[in-house]
Amino acid sequence: MPAPLASIEHGKDSIWGNDVELKPGKKILLNASSGKGKSTFTTTIFGLRRDYTGTLSYDDKDTRNLTVDDWTKIRMEQISVVFQDLQLFPKLTVQENLILKNSLTDTFTEKELKTLLERLEIDNKWNQQCGLLSMGQQQRVAIIRALAQPYSWLIMDEPFSHLDEGNTQRCLKMLDERTTDLNASFVLTTLGDHHSFKFDQELNL
Amino acid sequence: MLNKLLFKNQDKKQLVIAIIGALLGITFLITSIHYLIKLNEFGEGADILGPNTIIVQKRVSNSSTLGLTKTDFSLKEMEKMKSKKFIKDVKPVVANNFDVFFRTADSLVPPFSSVVFIQTVDSEFLEIEPEKWNWKLGDEFVPMIMPREFLIMLNTFMSASGIPPISDDLAKDIKFEFKLSNNSNSKKETMKVRIAGFSNEVSSLLVPESFMNYGNNTFSDGSLQKITQVMISGEEGKFGLVEELLEEKGLESKKSQMVVGKLKSIIGTLFGVVLGISIIAVFMSGLVLIQYLQLLMTRNAYEARTLMRMGYHPEKIIKTFFLYFVKIFGFVSILGLLLFIVLKFFLDNAIATGGLGIGTTITYQSIGALILAYLLFAITSYRTAKKGIFKEY
Repeated sequence: MPAPLASIEHGKDSIWGNDVELKPGKKILLNASSGKGKSTFTTTIFGLRRDYTGTLSYDDKDTRNLTVDDWTKIRMEQISVVFQDLQLFPKLTVQENLILKNSLTDTFTEKELKTLLERLEIDNKWNQQCGLLSMGQQQRVAIIRALAQPYSWLIMDEPFSHLDEGNTQRCLKMLDERTTDLNASFVLTTLGDHHSFKFDQELNL
Repeated sequence: MLNKLLFKNQDKKQLVIAIIGALLGITFLITSIHYLIKLNEFGEGADILGPNTIIVQKRVSNSSTLGLTKTDFSLKEMEKMKSKKFIKDVKPVVANNFDVFFRTADSLVPPFSSVVFIQTVDSEFLEIEPEKWNWKLGDEFVPMIMPREFLIMLNTFMSASGIPPISDDLAKDIKFEFKLSNNSNSKKETMKVRIAGFSNEVSSLLVPESFMNYGNNTFSDGSLQKITQVMISGEEGKFGLVEELLEEKGLESKKSQMVVGKLKSIIGTLFGVVLGISIIAVFMSGLVLIQYLQLLMTRNAYEARTLMRMGYHPEKIIKTFFLYFVKIFGFVSILGLLLFIVLKFFLDNAIATGGLGIGTTITYQSIGALILAYLLFAITSYRTAKKGIFKEY
């Protein structure tokens, strides 16, 4: 249980206060209203917060015992995240934002990155500064950036909040394909919208 | 890409000011250390006596002529002088208490003889190899340091006799003799003598202490030997204080002996002040650069945090900041060194024109100081970068 959420009353089926196992290969929906801890969930399992009670294990290892080297490797190759606030570099172009991430693992070629942008209809923004894009466009750049690494888990914190239905479906399709290709899993947090997608598991907060 | 992200959008005004400060500081640091060392070296080897050593005696006044004041030194007076912080050592100049007759004993030079006055000083004051400056009973030769004026006189005498004058080196091969005797001439001994060196500062013949002890013990009539001259060795760059002491105690020394020491003290003090200012300048500019690094990291806190969340190792980001700043300081150091070389060219010329013949080779210590300043900056910038980045982890 994260310390900031200890004072809030959670449902019986909430992951907070219960044992939860996220199994590999699953596509999971994490459903909750505002303030229930979706972002806390994302940042906690990504090792950014340690203010919780209980135990959080990754590959049977207590994450509190993971070293800086361990976390760097996990973030580079095993867990990828789309943050709610996107965390792009506004002064850098779309190309630079993507290459900065992609260069760590050389997951895609530049051509492949452009193809991904094209699929999400923002390939014309390649040389544009991210800070000048709309929030919807920035969300799509952040999604592609999250895909530009190998991963076992993809954690997405309300990644479609600024997208229309058409773009949401295109993004979801791309995420689904890539996750399936990698034989990986994803967790998608939403405010209750299933986006017409058939998830393997649904969790509540 | 990392460099572009972290360093592109920065206000470089502060950086440029810090670079200029560091450049001036580094240049003056190397320059002042170099010239301080060169100055300390100045005078070494020029005379048998060290450059900071003088022989002093009490000033002779009318009252001392009348025997109302003493001209000899007591042990207490010497101890008192030695207790001063700016004085390294004080030792008596011991004179002969027996008769010494000096003569040439070489067929290459015309016969020359004279009654002479010999003295001995502690070997610590002499810049001569210890193995050349010892004597024991049974040795073939007694080593001797001759006043250069004595050689000049000998050369004048030889020229007048139609014999070519001899150089310092050749003079060292000429055989001389000491004829030692007591006052009543009842005890006599002749000893071979060889020149071990020359002095511009001492007016008497100098011999090893062991020889003087032998002579005084063997030929003296037993009267108490008075110490009328003492040898003072001053601390480097403190000759002003030594001179004040001489004035206060009514002592005098050869002017030429004082000039070099005084000159070194004055210029040494000047370069010492420059060195102090340079150290402060290097420290301050280093501090400004480190502060700029901290400022840059604070401005890039979001970028550093996000990079680490993307999978960049903290060490990689630390290294990026570290390398950026050590490259800047490296550039400043090389530029400082080049400026020093240019400055040195003009300063060496000016000093040579002024009459101070100091060496022109670059001192290891000045380069060492530059490397030390660079290493200190590198260590500090690495530690600062590490602290700043892990704060965001």
